[in-house]
Amino acid sequence: MEINLNRTGIFTLNVYAKGRLDLDSAVEYGQKITDFIYDSDEEIKELVLDFSEITFISSYGLKVILELYKKMKETEGSLKIKGVSEEIKKSFNLVGFNKFLALD
Amino acid sequence: MFKTIKSKFLVWTFVMLAVLMLAFVSYIGIFRMKMKQLMIQNYGNSINAFVQQLDDKVIRAVDNSKDLALLGSLYYKTDRSIPLTNKSIIKLFENYENSLGGGIWFEPYVVNKNQKRNCFYVYRNKNGKLILDEDFASDEYDYHNQGWYKQIMSQIDKKHDTAWSLPYYENQGSETMMITVGTGIFDGDKLIGLSTVDWELNTIFEEIKEMKPLEKGFNMYVQKGKIKDSFSLFASKKDNYIITTDDPNLDNNALVGKTLDNIPWYKDNLYYITYFDYNGKTYVPFVRNTINGMLLIINIPKSEMFKDIDKFVFNMFIVMAFLGIFIPILVYAGLNRYIINPIDKLTLFVKQIGKGEDVKIKIEKPTEFKQLASTFDKMTSDIKAITKEKEKINSELTIAKSIQTSSLPSTFPAFPNVKEFDIYASMEPAKEVGGDFYDYYFIDKNNNFMFLIADVSGKGVPAALFMMTTKTLINNLSQIGYEPKELIKIINKKVCENNKEGLFVTMFSGIVNIKTGKTYFVNCGHNKPLIKHQNGKYEYLELDNNMPLGVFEDTEFSIYETELKKGDIIFTYTDGITEAINPENEMYGENKLETSLNNIETDNINEIALRVKQNLKEYTKEAPQSDDITILCFKYNGEQKMNIKTYKDIAKRENYKPFCNWLHSSLKEFGVNKELFNKIDMCSEEIFANISFYAYGENEGEIEVSAQKTDNEIILKFEDSGIAYNPLEKPDPDITLPPMERPLGGLGIYMVKNMAKDVTYERNDNKNKLILIFEIL
Repeated sequence: MEINLNRTGIFTLNVYAKGRLDLDSAVEYGQKITDFIYDSDEEIKELVLDFSEITFISSYGLKVILELYKKMKETEGSLKIKGVSEEIKKSFNLVGFNKFLALD
Repeated sequence: MFKTIKSKFLVWTFVMLAVLMLAFVSYIGIFRMKMKQLMIQNYGNSINAFVQQLDDKVIRAVDNSKDLALLGSLYYKTDRSIPLTNKSIIKLFENYENSLGGGIWFEPYVVNKNQKRNCFYVYRNKNGKLILDEDFASDEYDYHNQGWYKQIMSQIDKKHDTAWSLPYYENQGSETMMITVGTGIFDGDKLIGLSTVDWELNTIFEEIKEMKPLEKGFNMYVQKGKIKDSFSLFASKKDNYIITTDDPNLDNNALVGKTLDNIPWYKDNLYYITYFDYNGKTYVPFVRNTINGMLLIINIPKSEMFKDIDKFVFNMFIVMAFLGIFIPILVYAGLNRYIINPIDKLTLFVKQIGKGEDVKIKIEKPTEFKQLASTFDKMTSDIKAITKEKEKINSELTIAKSIQTSSLPSTFPAFPNVKEFDIYASMEPAKEVGGDFYDYYFIDKNNNFMFLIADVSGKGVPAALFMMTTKTLINNLSQIGYEPKELIKIINKKVCENNKEGLFVTMFSGIVNIKTGKTYFVNCGHNKPLIKHQNGKYEYLELDNNMPLGVFEDTEFSIYETELKKGDIIFTYTDGITEAINPENEMYGENKLETSLNNIETDNINEIALRVKQNLKEYTKEAPQSDDITILCFKYNGEQKMNIKTYKDIAKRENYKPFCNWLHSSLKEFGVNKELFNKIDMCSEEIFANISFYAYGENEGEIEVSAQKTDNEIILKFEDSGIAYNPLEKPDPDITLPPMERPLGGLGIYMVKNMAKDVTYERNDNKNKLILIFEIL
């Protein structure tokens, strides 16, 4: 899975990924983001996940998203997801994530 | 109004009282009459005594006159040698104090040929002194021509020597009412003279006035008969004369000459009473003859005479009236106290008990009702005990019923991954445990599928137990591999062997080869099933009807062979449907069932069963369900083309990618759309991950996956040989929790349950088998 992490501001991390967020890739995806935040000198206050090229999200993907959300909230940061396709929105809706996730 | 004991009893009391009163009144009436007669007799007797008294006086006067006549006779016979001196006559009269006077009178010239008139007369003067008066022999008086002399003389002969004159008024001497009695003086047969004694009636009247048994009323002294000669004041031609009366309203003189025709003449032995109304008052008159030819009439006022008896009768009536009022009141009060109130109490208590209240009946008065109350109490506790016992039995029966019902397969679709047929069945048990059942299963590995619907005769526990054994027996025997004809024969034989109670089973059964459609039907005395071909109508399937199972051991069964075509529907049922009755007691019947089925447009058998039951319910309305309502519906879909892809590998995370590739290519081949693709993708990953992570623990094991496409479904089957685990039992995560409180796990299986049309888990052959069915929309 192709994952690009870019700081677009002092406190903002933009994550671009392409492909499926599933059993195969979700752990790697989550790990990379967590590591980045951990290694960063400046505290990341805003995490923006670019989903425009994410074609599929499985329960493992959803689990990672919830983990990231909780992590950001703990440090009083925020999580934003942009470019979510209709299919993935349905998956979010099904498990009630739409109630707290900021979707663009 | 007269429907209560109270009113009936009161009516009876009144009737009885009326009869009693009537009897009493008649008795009193007779008693009163008898008493009156007795009183009259009694008064009559005392009046007779008065008359005797009076008559004694009269006889004294007669004796006086006879003594005088004897004196006269002696004088004549001795040729005047015994002289009639003043002294001798006066002496005679001294013995008769009632006589006013008297004399001896001879016929002309009898004593002395020279002397025409020869007489002696003595009278009492005002001082009571007797004085001899010789003036009567004078020419002026000429006694021979006086009325009294002639009258008495004319009445006397040898046989009747004494005679009375009528009363007369003496206006010459004493000027009183007189009556004279005379006795003849005879010389042999020749009447030669008279002796007379004068009686003053007034002195007699004084005595008569006293002759009153009641000291009330008035008396009369009456001369009866015709007086022909007029020699005194009261000459009259009337028959009856009142001589005197003490009635203060009557003037003596005014009464003189009054007729007494209206006075009834009483005798002692009268049995009826006649009254004499006079001067506004009613009297009972007693009339007696006295020997001087007069009448004594004693009038007693009726009111006085019967005063006591009338008072007594009146008192009796008062008592009766009192009883007439108080007896019903007493009866009413007693009735209320001892009967009505206890009954009301009992009624109230029984009502309360009927409502289930726990009360004890209290009746204080020790009558039969107290006994009844305690009997009621006993009954209540008995009923409670019995009810409890019954409830226990009922609850046991309910359990039996639910065991029975749950022994019937009720999961639909019954074979989710078999697409060659659909089957649906249901049984709605009646209140009582009944004997309906159905069953279905594959009987071999050659795609032979058997279904059956049956009804055990009778109801209750015996039928239910028989149903259970028969069902098990058929299941066991059908697995052995007999030919259909042989199978049914053996089933029947075994049912007979197990049948000690004389029960029997009607059954319709079919064995279908789901690949070829080759079918055997057998009907053992059961209701005719209906069959419908694709685009056709439901029709009754007319088969040879065999004996029910369990009747004769050696029955040969007629088997019907046919080949089912795609879309054929067999609708079977029990008599609980056709014999269901509506409130008008009319049966549903086969025609209505056929019509009802033909009005159903869908071929979905679940829907068909539901609609038939609905239609039946509309027909029966509130009428209670008397029998189990059982339906089994079978639809043959024809042979399905095999479109199955399989995957098999070691279950580990690293193999997810190849699994994913296999799945994606299969789904692409099946041509599923993007949405369904996504769903299946998500669900498959979850199941794959579960098996990979948990099925074998530290060890390695295999995962087998098959994907199959039918006309409208995608079926995924996951199998592993790991530890038994049913992921469907995992509770759903609460997706309404705030995000920070939400757990990370549990989402996957929740998604599976929501996305798949149907998920089933089975554990057999030491394998976990999870089947996911997705609908192709």
